[in-house]
Amino acid sequence: MNPIARLIVEAWPYALAFAIGAFIPRREGRLERLALGLIGVLSVAFVRGLWPGASVGEGGSEWPHLLNLIVFLPIVGSAVVLFLPRQAPRLLKRFSMGVLIADFGVSLLLLRGSMSHGWHYQYIAEWLPSFGIRYHVAVDGISFWLVLLSTLSSPLALYVSFGSIRKRTKELCFAFLLLHGAMLGAFVSLDLFLFYVFWELMLVPMILIIGVWGGAEKVKAAYKFFLYTMAGSMLMLAAILYMVWTFKQLEGYYTFDYLALRRLLLEDRAAWLCFAGFALAFVIKVPMWPFHTWLPDAHVQAPTGGSVILAAVLLKLGTYGYVRFCMGMFEGPAWQAGATLAWVALLGGVVYGALCAWRQADIKRLVAYSSVAHLGFVMLGLFAATQAGVEGALIQMVNHGISTGALFILVGVIYDRRHTRLSSEYGGLAKVMPVYAALFVVFTMASIGVPGTNGFVGEFMIIMGTIVSQPLGRWATSQAVVAAFGVILAAVYMLSVVQKVFFGPLNNPKNEKLQDVTPRETLALAPLLVLVFLVGLFPSVILDRMHESVSGVVSRYVEGRVLYQQHLGKAGATLKPRKGGPTEVGYPKAAGVAAVDRPATSDGARVAARVGGAR
Amino acid sequence: MQTIEKLFPANDFALLLLILGMPLIGAFINGVFGKRLGKGGVRLMALTALGVSFLASVVSFFMLRAAQGDGSEGPARFLWRGWEWIRLSRAGEASFVHAGGEPSVLALDVAFSIDALSGTMALIVTGVGFLIHLYSTAYMEHDAGFHRFFAYLNLFIFSMLVLILGNSLPILFVGWEGVGLCSYLLIGFWFDDDANASAGKKAFIVNRVGDFGLLVAMALLVRYTGALDWDGIAAGSSGLLSEVRIWDGQVFASFLPDFIVQPRSVTAATLVGLALFLGCAGKSAQIPLYTWLPDAMAGPTPVSALIHAATMVTAGVYLVCRLAGVFTLSPAAMLVVAVIGAATALFAATIALVQRDIKKVLAYSTVSQLGYMFLGVGVGAFTAGFFHVMTHAFFKACLFLGAGSVIHSLHARIHDTDASQTVDNMGGMRRFMPVTHLTFGLSVLAIAGLPLTSGFFSKDEILYSAYTRSVVSEQSGAFAWWPGTGAVLFGVGVLAATMTAFYMFRLYFLIFRGEFKGWQIDPNFREPEGGHHDHHHHDASEPLVGPAPRESPWPMTVPLVVLAVLATFAGFLNAHPLHVIPLEHWLEPVFGDAVPSSRLAHSDPEHALMVPLLVPGVLAFLIGAGLAAYMYVVRKGVPARELAESFPALYRQLMDKWRVDELYDELVVGSLEALAEASVWVDRWVVDGIIARLTSSLVGLWGHLLRLFQTGHAQVYAATMVVGLFVMGWFVAIPRAEAVVATDASSGRYSVRAAPGLGYEYRWDADGDGAFDQGEEFGQTMQVTIELEPGASRDVTLQVRNVFGRIRTRVVPVRRELRDGSAPSAALSIHGRGAP
Repeated sequence: MNPIARLIVEAWPYALAFAIGAFIPRREGRLERLALGLIGVLSVAFVRGLWPGASVGEGGSEWPHLLNLIVFLPIVGSAVVLFLPRQAPRLLKRFSMGVLIADFGVSLLLLRGSMSHGWHYQYIAEWLPSFGIRYHVAVDGISFWLVLLSTLSSPLALYVSFGSIRKRTKELCFAFLLLHGAMLGAFVSLDLFLFYVFWELMLVPMILIIGVWGGAEKVKAAYKFFLYTMAGSMLMLAAILYMVWTFKQLEGYYTFDYLALRRLLLEDRAAWLCFAGFALAFVIKVPMWPFHTWLPDAHVQAPTGGSVILAAVLLKLGTYGYVRFCMGMFEGPAWQAGATLAWVALLGGVVYGALCAWRQADIKRLVAYSSVAHLGFVMLGLFAATQAGVEGALIQMVNHGISTGALFILVGVIYDRRHTRLSSEYGGLAKVMPVYAALFVVFTMASIGVPGTNGFVGEFMIIMGTIVSQPLGRWATSQAVVAAFGVILAAVYMLSVVQKVFFGPLNNPKNEKLQDVTPRETLALAPLLVLVFLVGLFPSVILDRMHESVSGVVSRYVEGRVLYQQHLGKAGATLKPRKGGPTEVGYPKAAGVAAVDRPATSDGARVAARVGGAR
Repeated sequence: MQTIEKLFPANDFALLLLILGMPLIGAFINGVFGKRLGKGGVRLMALTALGVSFLASVVSFFMLRAAQGDGSEGPARFLWRGWEWIRLSRAGEASFVHAGGEPSVLALDVAFSIDALSGTMALIVTGVGFLIHLYSTAYMEHDAGFHRFFAYLNLFIFSMLVLILGNSLPILFVGWEGVGLCSYLLIGFWFDDDANASAGKKAFIVNRVGDFGLLVAMALLVRYTGALDWDGIAAGSSGLLSEVRIWDGQVFASFLPDFIVQPRSVTAATLVGLALFLGCAGKSAQIPLYTWLPDAMAGPTPVSALIHAATMVTAGVYLVCRLAGVFTLSPAAMLVVAVIGAATALFAATIALVQRDIKKVLAYSTVSQLGYMFLGVGVGAFTAGFFHVMTHAFFKACLFLGAGSVIHSLHARIHDTDASQTVDNMGGMRRFMPVTHLTFGLSVLAIAGLPLTSGFFSKDEILYSAYTRSVVSEQSGAFAWWPGTGAVLFGVGVLAATMTAFYMFRLYFLIFRGEFKGWQIDPNFREPEGGHHDHHHHDASEPLVGPAPRESPWPMTVPLVVLAVLATFAGFLNAHPLHVIPLEHWLEPVFGDAVPSSRLAHSDPEHALMVPLLVPGVLAFLIGAGLAAYMYVVRKGVPARELAESFPALYRQLMDKWRVDELYDELVVGSLEALAEASVWVDRWVVDGIIARLTSSLVGLWGHLLRLFQTGHAQVYAATMVVGLFVMGWFVAIPRAEAVVATDASSGRYSVRAAPGLGYEYRWDADGDGAFDQGEEFGQTMQVTIELEPGASRDVTLQVRNVFGRIRTRVVPVRRELRDGSAPSAALSIHGRGAP
């Protein structure tokens, strides 16, 4: 074919997407149109590039420093911000946005691989050899999407923050960049010490964001957030230390490495205590009933950008931690607790969270409680521990980031204009802000899981994964039914607020002159809007890169539980046999000795571990 | 034809993309760019989308006919597979990869298929949809939300087609919720009135209750059949016969009566059937979920015609037909379908008898007719039920559009939605609107069941089937229908048919006969400037004057004529008494393939009762119509008023729709609200109270207590110090004998190690002979090692002496367990606390 003709044939979806984005009516400004067009082009490229069966760059080797770059670009950026002049807010804003967008761009490089079984972009360096602490980062099909979710939501959150926050820009930029780096670090750490450091590091900028730029009771909310999270993580630290010590007893050397510590088969009581330590830390972060009350307070007091990050990413660290560490290291206790915890997630999250959300007068509080309900679904999928359930939970994490993040941005829009979030203050807004109303309704539909949007895919997979679940045993069917019931409640609370805010007569004269969405808000919402439908219609684009890792996690979970049962009642701790294969690449060999266990298989070529790196 | 067949092979039938895609494109363009396109552009876009979609449906229909005529076995079906949507786990398989290595996954594709059933349904939807789009271009002409309206309407058609053409239950569900969403948006189309928005919300939430049933049904199907696409469900349907324990009777077994405590189980098919039917009841407005449909009349009238009469509400019937193979596995579920259908038909008809809002009458009539359809499919007469879907789509759409035409012409002067819909402002419209009058009249005849009209054939087919047919189980000892069921269902059906004839003729007489009551007609009247758009209520004291109501423009009358013709003559598609049954032949392969004839019982295989059973149906028509004519034409409505006055309580109940809405408000909404309030209270005072406030106040309390000791008096500090030193000295003076046992499981060697201490000396009795091993001397031996045979045990005695000469004794029992071979031999274990 004529190359020009081929170019036309190949390029028409991009051109069409660009045209649709650029010619959306009622937008002013050429730059905004250009950006919307680019978002269209990017989304087409995203779908086409990730289409199952599309050629992936499997041949190219993985650049080992990619994750280091992704994690440390924002952290170094935050250090640089400290040296920029406070008097130049434009420079600060542009620099921070530049760093975050660059980070997003770099993280897109992760998409080049196919996320086959095992660890990718792995990088290992000794950090504190005498304690067996290493800098060990890698992604697999589970953490991978959460990394992308973070690198996408942070720039959006910071961008909307600049719209409403005018004071202390420098500190804001610093806090956001540091928070961003710490979150990414926590997602990619495979060393428990490193994970813990990032986990705690996240807290500091987040309480600053809530406590400095928040609402009327910001300090109280920040304290509550901090103390809740801290209480959980202290117990987790204790559990980590116990496990490291036990491992030393068995193998003779210290290591904090996840790959090594997950081999531990602790004595029954110790296993339960360690599981409880980890699970409590994650359950508080998720948050699950009854540890959820910090969330509405934190959300309501946090500025819009902070809420977006909190909902989109921070909560996901709890669910991610549960699937990675609790399910990965304590299969037996996790399996046995699963059926009970699933009831907690259902009744305390899906049902109770929804009921509480329904009666909230404050829209932001309502969205916060809806998060409790959504994350109840996520946790249910994890407890079900079937592949459909876990994949549903993972994609629901992404979905919740998209739709709840967007809802927080949307609530921020009217808060910026009217400085109130009480739904009774509004009514009939669809008349004066039609675009805003349309966007809100679309994201509402995504949030309540109307099929065709992203929310449905996650909820559907979770329900279908629950009913065939073995860990839930005889309760599987009733739990699936209650989960399905949650779908009704979601419609009740979200549609009530939509009706109160947008429909009915425009009674309040203060609302008559409200401005519709500004270019800044449009640009922040457009990618999320596109994603709502991309994930809803083509979920396999995302699921395809999860299958192998989730399959590994699920089968490991089943096997680990069998080993646990065999070990049950025996005194002392022991180790599970090593499985080998790609999931054990990077296994720590011995204390102090900078040696990495390399597998003898041909996979060795893909190992990106570097030995004896920076100390 | 051959080129078309070559272009669209049966297993890659891309023509479906055209059918589905056009309305979607129309919705997108009208929704996003509609304001810029202007009314002409929007109208062109919407009609083109529907027109092309309709033509493509016609082409597919004829291709299906050609394929089905081949003599090939089984029903013809054209499939188009898009892309993989999601994967689900099968029962008993945690991972998608089976333990043996081969994949075991339930892959769901975005796939669509068209067969005789869905092809016919698609024709109805796109055909009636096109007519109603055309009608709406005139009806909505002056509405500010013109483009928004057509965007929603096109989106609705798209969703409805997804529902019909989806090749699996989840894809159907996409359309199912999609039509619910469009219905929500269209009912609340005039959202400035809170009542409209509330009606939309109510419709959505009640529908969601039904969707909950559908979700549960899908989950159960995944578990028991391992599939969700039509072929897979049919192939795995034997799994649905397994018994499911729904009540294990363990709860409070000691003091509950026996019949409660007994474990209960039903077949999975019954559960699936009931769950599916909950979905159908939600979407098709059956008891107990019908309450949203009358409220849904708040939407524009074309919407009522399209969504709430002709297409969306029949989706439930379609679903029962589509999954006939699952439903017929459970006679119990089918009985529920039939009984609910008959009950709804009667119940809704009673309410329709007295309503004065013409759209409300039609709405309850729709609910009642939908009941008929479920009665038909419930007794296993799927063709009869589906045939009624079709004829009902014609006559009810025509009735709604006719009502809309009347409302439109009244609204032109009255400017009030409610006032222009009540029969109190109508009468005598026959003179002003001849086309509307004629078409409405024909449709009334059809729905009332005048012999040889479409409603006559479809309704009597259902009544006949209700009397003669039943569903039986292939398993012995399973649930069976009571023999008199058919007669009861038949009787209820005839009673409802009588009422239908009565209320439809009543409506017709009140609208078109008698005197016009809307306003005083003044032929020289001119509309005041800008009068059309103010929707305020007119002052009641001053009589309204206006021109004679006008007939509607052609875009509104043409659809009326077409639909009236169809309503009159479509009966011959399936005229059983005349033995003209093309529809039955056409659908036979689909239902015959899905339902083995052994599941359906027929008490009248020779059709001997067919003609005799027509008589009650005809009598129902004659009595109902005659009574209405007597009451409203001969006696001018006097008997109706007298009846209402002599039974005021009953009349009030009927006017208030039996107060079911109020009941639900109290019972369901009220208790849910109370539960929510309780949750909020618990959240604030119990959960937050205990975890946050109580803990923080406990910490605070300790702070307060400890602060009491920080008095600042040096004497107090010194005294505390002395006490502290004394306690520490006491602690040092008492020796502690503690030991830790380390086990080497393989060899049976146990080493007992004493805890270290300041100046401690030890002596041991390791061999358990009662005497210390090294005599009475204390030494520095901190550890002893012993070996034990399996099953043996020994007490090791340890004595510790500290520098003050005080001695403590500790006996450590050591026991070696009897081991079976399963223990990991090489594993090193540690036990207890303390460092090795």
